[in-house]
Amino acid sequence: MTDAFSLLQAAADTAGAYRDFPLIGSRAAIWIAAEIHLMFAAFVLGVPMFAVVAEAIGIFGKDQRYDRLSKEFTRLLLIAYSATAIWGAVLTFLLATLYPRFWAYLTSIFGASMWVYVSIFFFESFTLYLYYYGWDRWKYGRAKLVHWGLGILLNVWGTIVMFIADGWLTYMMTPPRDITPQTQVASIKFWEAFMNHTWMPINIHRLIGNIVFGGAIVGAYASYRFLASRSEEERAHYDWMGYVGNFIAISALIVLPFAGYWLGREIYQYDQSMGITMMGGFMSWLWVIQAFLIAVLFLAGNYYLWVGMGRIPGAERFRPYTKWLLAVLVVGAIVWGTPHTMIADSRELVAMGGSHHPFLGVLGVMSAKNTAVNLMILATFLSFLMYRRANIRPVVPWAQTGTRIQGAMFIIAAAIVLFYGIRGYFVEAIVRIGYSVYQVGAVLSCIVFVTVIDVLMARGAQSLGTIQWGKMPARSQYALFILAVTFTWLMGLMGFARSGIRQHWHVWQVMPDTSQYAATPALGYASIMISTCVLIFLALVGFIFWLGGLAEKSTFVPAVSTVEAPHVGH
Amino acid sequence: MWAINLRIVGVVLGTLALYTLIANKIPQMQSEVPRALALGANVTPEQLVSAGEQLYQGAGGCTACHGLGTRAPNLVTDEKGQGPIGARCGKRESGKDCKAYIYESLTSPGAFVVTGYEPIMPDVSRTLSPQQLWALVAFLESLGGTVDVSAADIPAVSQPTPGGSPGSAGPGIGGGTKDAMEIIRAAGCIACHKVGAEGGAIGPDFSRIGARLSAAQIREGILAPDARIARGYEKFKGIMPKTFGDQLTAAQLESLVQFLASRK
Repeated sequence: MTDAFSLLQAAADTAGAYRDFPLIGSRAAIWIAAEIHLMFAAFVLGVPMFAVVAEAIGIFGKDQRYDRLSKEFTRLLLIAYSATAIWGAVLTFLLATLYPRFWAYLTSIFGASMWVYVSIFFFESFTLYLYYYGWDRWKYGRAKLVHWGLGILLNVWGTIVMFIADGWLTYMMTPPRDITPQTQVASIKFWEAFMNHTWMPINIHRLIGNIVFGGAIVGAYASYRFLASRSEEERAHYDWMGYVGNFIAISALIVLPFAGYWLGREIYQYDQSMGITMMGGFMSWLWVIQAFLIAVLFLAGNYYLWVGMGRIPGAERFRPYTKWLLAVLVVGAIVWGTPHTMIADSRELVAMGGSHHPFLGVLGVMSAKNTAVNLMILATFLSFLMYRRANIRPVVPWAQTGTRIQGAMFIIAAAIVLFYGIRGYFVEAIVRIGYSVYQVGAVLSCIVFVTVIDVLMARGAQSLGTIQWGKMPARSQYALFILAVTFTWLMGLMGFARSGIRQHWHVWQVMPDTSQYAATPALGYASIMISTCVLIFLALVGFIFWLGGLAEKSTFVPAVSTVEAPHVGH
Repeated sequence: MWAINLRIVGVVLGTLALYTLIANKIPQMQSEVPRALALGANVTPEQLVSAGEQLYQGAGGCTACHGLGTRAPNLVTDEKGQGPIGARCGKRESGKDCKAYIYESLTSPGAFVVTGYEPIMPDVSRTLSPQQLWALVAFLESLGGTVDVSAADIPAVSQPTPGGSPGSAGPGIGGGTKDAMEIIRAAGCIACHKVGAEGGAIGPDFSRIGARLSAAQIREGILAPDARIARGYEKFKGIMPKTFGDQLTAAQLESLVQFLASRK
């Protein structure tokens, strides 16, 4: 009887609501289209941010290398832009044809914003064309500033476009609580639906994530060009470009977890059960995978820096410290990856002797994880600092005091992180959550103040030798590839987490998914989908970059003298 | 150059393979959709408990907090010497029996927060149907107590309106077509009813329905399916959706009624 009812219900519910896609099914089709569109979108939104910064460094620092670097970034952007639009169109058509009822529902609420979206997309496209094709025409004086203004405008358009699309997807996750399945769509207020609980946290998280992603893809592009280089000059240029891409990716990655905490907190505040599903429910193993991926990112990023120090005269004095930094990173990654609360069956619970493992359960709590990740961030920052300092000797009279103050700041930040990490075991959960703010605050303060001191100390510093750009072993370039693949995979995984916590709802607790694909798949299936998307994306990126290379010569700096590109931040 | 390309492809594929392998080696958990229940007038306590247990252990998501964890009170086994939930539920609130206490805890979770726990319980009625809710109550009662949930507690089966609003915003079933056979197919009637060579045998055969029922009776059968049950199909009372009055346009309804009435 139940089966008969289910059959009837499915037939009635799905009448006209769903269509299927040949071979792979409609869920997989939408998954691939959405994921690849998002990957391209992240790239074309992230790259303009640091392209415009690089152009500014070129203008105000009067360094042509940055201007050319910025132009090369933008050339990548131009050819990736059409791919973004194509996959966006694919996604829209698939949604309209495979999920017509759900699409009708979304357009009923957000239709007007979709028109605005398209209009701004139009402006964004033409701003990009002006920005790129006007590069050599508006090269000097006031015209150059206007050109730079176009770059800023490009970022403004891109950010608005992303904010609009975020309103649609976050509505699916966290619709206002007064909207129920019975709510008439005409009575839903646009702004209330649009500016929902997770809208701004997702906006910020994606803004930072796009920078990370753009930096990683640019790094991979540069590493490919480095490996394929036929001259020393070209190799030097792409070595430098790869370093800049990695610097951008890792710098933004350091900030990304804080935006992630905010998003997670908002999800919990909106609906505890959604948060618990995400962190302790059927998705709990996802975070172990995430910890593994982030460990790969930290290790690969630091490895690239440590290998890179081999081409910097004077860096030998810092080499003994790298093994300790490696130890901090490895131990931190192990603690971060330790699971705590898992859905376990009765046999597994008996085997563990309780709901948590007697030893590992202690490391799996947030007190230990927050401590671990904050120490990993401090260790990575220290790697950057050593890299910056490698070939200079500060000559300011207060250099020794400054270095001691910097050391003290590291020690104090680490002590605060450890203190609140340990104290977190002895207080209630609600108090413990607040401690993460103190830990993050200590680390961020350390990063900001130590950087300021370092910049001031580097003024007029004695050079210990020129960085030998291009003198980089090939293995370091493969680290950049691993970084790009891992960032892309991580993006797919976290997209699955964000989307998957809705479970069998198109719109959480408002519009159920009654299609045959309503169940949220396990991580194994998700990982195959993610790998497929990453593979398609990287293949397409490789193809369009190759096409771009056919059309135009690269913009590497020709040999005037030994390439003396400064460190980023000098 | 080919060697470099091959090495890059190897690094990319190797990295992807490693991540995919790890994700497939860990325990695989799929989030299932709570199964729709059709609990008729003759439902037994055993059937209710069984359905409730499936929800509790699976798609209901209860064990994420109530298993043996520390987020929420233990329901299945002893909690602070008071026994499982079925044994202690009747004593929790004076004047409230076990059934009322559990039901209210599920639907107004903020009402009875057990000391020592945070108010994190969601309103379960937002995700589960009334039938599923009562099955869950029966299962929880069975854990050390007596099941007194009966068919009388359970409201008649009503179809959820998926995204009720979009349904009402749409142009009717099947994109608003007035072709009766298209409506029958799009509305899913043939999942249970036979029309000519098409359809199933769960409900009455529509092939010659016009010979048995008038147009008015057919219209009533579509809009209020439980008002009159065809002989021999009494046990399926409550199964037919009652939402066609909302889903069909007036023109579609009349087209369908006239088409069926003409089949003699």
